[in-house]
Amino acid sequence: MPRRHRETATAKAVVAEAQQRGRRQRSKETYREISVAEFFAKNRELAGFSNPTRALYQTVRELVENALDATDTHSILPVISIRIAYDDELEAKYGNPRKWFRITVEDNGIGVPPTVIANAFGRVLFSSKYVIRQTRGMYGLGVKAAVLYGQMTAGRPVEVVSSMQESDYVYLRRLYIDVSKNEPKIVEKGQWRKKGRWHGTRVTITLEGDWPRARSRIIEYIKRTAVIAPYAEIYFETPDGEIYVFPRLTSKMPAPPKEAKPHPHGIDLDQMKMLIKRSNARTLLQLLSNELQSVGTIMARKFLEEIGLDPNMNPKKLDNDSLVKLVDSMKSYRFRAPKSDHLSPIGEELIKIGLKRMFKPEWVDALTRPPRAYQGHSFIVEVGIAYGGGIEARNEPLLLRYANKIPLLYEEREDVTYKVVSGINWKIYRVDFPAPLVVLVHIASTKIPYKGVGKESISEVPEIESEIRIAVQHVARKLRVYLGKKAREAEARRKIITISKYIPEIARSLAILSKPPTKWNQPSEKDEKILVDALIRLVSRNVEVPKVPGLEQSDPEKIVRSVIENIKLE
Amino acid sequence: MAAPVDKVDLQARKRAAKIIHEKFKGVLKDVLSGKPPRLIIPKRTLANTRFDPEKGILVMGEDVIERELLNMGEARRFMQTLLMASIIYQALIENEYPTIRDLYYRGKHTIVYRDLRGRLREENTWDEQSESDAVIRDVEVFTGLLREDMLILSKEKGKVVGRMKIRSGGDVIDLSKMGHGAYAIESTPDLIEFLEVDAEFVLVVEKDAVFQQLHRAKFWDKYKAILVTGAGQPDRATRRFVRRLNEELGLPIYILTDSDPYGWYIYSVFKVGSIQLSYESERLATPKARFLGVSMTDIFGYRSKKPYLSERERRNFIIKAKDVDIRRARELMKYSWFQTPKWRRELRIFLQRKAKLEIEALASKGLRFLAEKYIPEKIETGDWTE
Repeated sequence: MPRRHRETATAKAVVAEAQQRGRRQRSKETYREISVAEFFAKNRELAGFSNPTRALYQTVRELVENALDATDTHSILPVISIRIAYDDELEAKYGNPRKWFRITVEDNGIGVPPTVIANAFGRVLFSSKYVIRQTRGMYGLGVKAAVLYGQMTAGRPVEVVSSMQESDYVYLRRLYIDVSKNEPKIVEKGQWRKKGRWHGTRVTITLEGDWPRARSRIIEYIKRTAVIAPYAEIYFETPDGEIYVFPRLTSKMPAPPKEAKPHPHGIDLDQMKMLIKRSNARTLLQLLSNELQSVGTIMARKFLEEIGLDPNMNPKKLDNDSLVKLVDSMKSYRFRAPKSDHLSPIGEELIKIGLKRMFKPEWVDALTRPPRAYQGHSFIVEVGIAYGGGIEARNEPLLLRYANKIPLLYEEREDVTYKVVSGINWKIYRVDFPAPLVVLVHIASTKIPYKGVGKESISEVPEIESEIRIAVQHVARKLRVYLGKKAREAEARRKIITISKYIPEIARSLAILSKPPTKWNQPSEKDEKILVDALIRLVSRNVEVPKVPGLEQSDPEKIVRSVIENIKLE
Repeated sequence: MAAPVDKVDLQARKRAAKIIHEKFKGVLKDVLSGKPPRLIIPKRTLANTRFDPEKGILVMGEDVIERELLNMGEARRFMQTLLMASIIYQALIENEYPTIRDLYYRGKHTIVYRDLRGRLREENTWDEQSESDAVIRDVEVFTGLLREDMLILSKEKGKVVGRMKIRSGGDVIDLSKMGHGAYAIESTPDLIEFLEVDAEFVLVVEKDAVFQQLHRAKFWDKYKAILVTGAGQPDRATRRFVRRLNEELGLPIYILTDSDPYGWYIYSVFKVGSIQLSYESERLATPKARFLGVSMTDIFGYRSKKPYLSERERRNFIIKAKDVDIRRARELMKYSWFQTPKWRRELRIFLQRKAKLEIEALASKGLRFLAEKYIPEKIETGDWTE
């Protein structure tokens, strides 16, 4: 599971902050070095573990996202099972019922190499190869936060069972994190020869949680995950024994993201220092053209000459002022836009399939926008809209927010997506609230501009805001066309009914009036039937019923006949 | 089947039935040939009502409405019109005399149909009688036949006594031999045959009580008159009957009402027709009807004319006009048939004095005063308002 070893750029920033704090403490107050693990243990709200409710939710989230990363990004159709159970043993031990939980998440992913398991789960910020690509977010950092939280509240080690695809063995590790040393401490090891062809990873974390409070969010989280991963098979068992199963609907998966080098517009001072430290480049020119994307030799030389730096100098010898100048100038220089093949959008088809399953709407459509960039980070906005059918009518759209395929559930009103969607005048799209409307917005980016460390809402970056608006409006226009057709169709049907119900009465009256007074005799049933048939033809041929896509074409004559079939004349 | 009817009745039935049958032939033809059917009906609105100065009556303008089956807003009324026409038609053929209430009940039934969602729904062909009454009016204007022509009965309200004999339903009735009672003017006044007439004028009184008093005083016998009352706002039969007396017998018509805008409007209805139902005027209005009184000049005098009331009587009998009376009077002033010099004078005096008088006030001066002085004197001296 190599991707667990990587850290996102954001995670990097948090770490840098932590290290800086450590340095400050060393210089001013104490001389004790604080480990990153210790820092997280003391600042667990940073990773979303502020209370038992959030901790339970966050742990499920971290493990599920890891499981998906171990599967779909490696072109494996995911089979994921999630189980939350009361821990009877701890209950018996501490006598505090209904508060201890064992969370087990199993995937059929690529597995973790046995040599890496301990560090992957037991060392915060273990390993980081410096590349960027779209990732689901907090894994790597997050799962270790969950492990730490578990051992701090329940005092139990994390249990990992894993096997790689090509391996003949299944490996077991139980371990703690040694907080002060930021090291894994393995308490149990095991390995067995595989009987079947199973591969994947199963992680169990025991912790203190609050199921009644976390319940609805966790279920919602899993449902929303299933919406955008209709290619996954998801099984979820709650502590109360409820079972949710989301079968696989399609074997089509989004193309996995490719790795990419950082773009010069998006790089900061720290990242540049790291880049220089790791790079083999002997000259500044080499550094820029080899380690950054969208920068060729010619472009790099031109840029360096313009800002007055020697292209042939050793980058490791850059002084601080020159470094600041370099990074600062790069941000505004006219490099080519960032590439986007390291982004992995969900795709219109999968969004539609997912929305259809979850909401059974009468209408659904989706749009994946072309890649755009903000501050050197490329991003793609995707929007899906579902309307009617099984969707409950509400006073505002039901908003499903996703960032890099992760559902965002908290802080909805803080989010740029909410701002855009709630600012749209839905009336012009023929949507009158309360209305059965679901709007899904996915932002895929190498760097999601979250508002806070909780990573639940996205900032109002103008480029992203504009893309969301364009995408929502685009799909909404299609909805308007559909609703317009539907309204016209309903109007035609209403017209047919309004008129048709009088047919028998008119036929009878006309039959009487058509008998001349001199040769009067009571009209027969046949006389009436001739007129009824004539009137049915007349009405059905003169009322046009438009075709609505997705709905069965209505035959006007059938409608007319169905309206009056029950009319018996007195 | 009703009892056998006489010749006049049968002829009227035949004529009406034929017209109805012919009128709806177009709809039948359209339906059978697949053409959207429509009824072209003269508009029964105030805006489409005008005064024809030559005929002296209110007539309908040229505006028509097209009532189409295929128009959502009109389909129901289209159905109702055909339904009502068919009931009337069948009643004519089967020698029946339905009342408008009968027509309401005969046509009222429930249509059970399926709605958009496939649920069974119910709708009545019509709900209130006011709805079916309006449809009768539609049938009247569409066919050009009045309900009297179609032998539809309504409540009898008008009464007549006097020096003439009539035939109705095969019986000869002497209107001078009605005792203290009177002949109720039937709903089908066109089926009345005038036989012997020994009268010189017709006096129409607004109020039933005054009619009874004059009748008991044998006013009609003494002055060779026919005495009629519509008992307030006259019904159609009374108006048609009065019209026939004037048109066919050439008798002058004098109208006696209270001296107030309400009484004047009753006169107006007899004379030019009702504003709401101008289509009937052609057959119901009596443009030559004269307003005998009580006039403002009868109360207050005018130039050389001496008032019929003394200063003291005026103080006792006059009622102060209410705001609604004033508004009504102002409304009447706008109508062209109230634009004659005499009527303008009447209305001007009314608006100046803001005074009105009930006809009973004159009667309280003694019935003889009314029957033997006031009415004969006014007729003799030509002191009426037109």
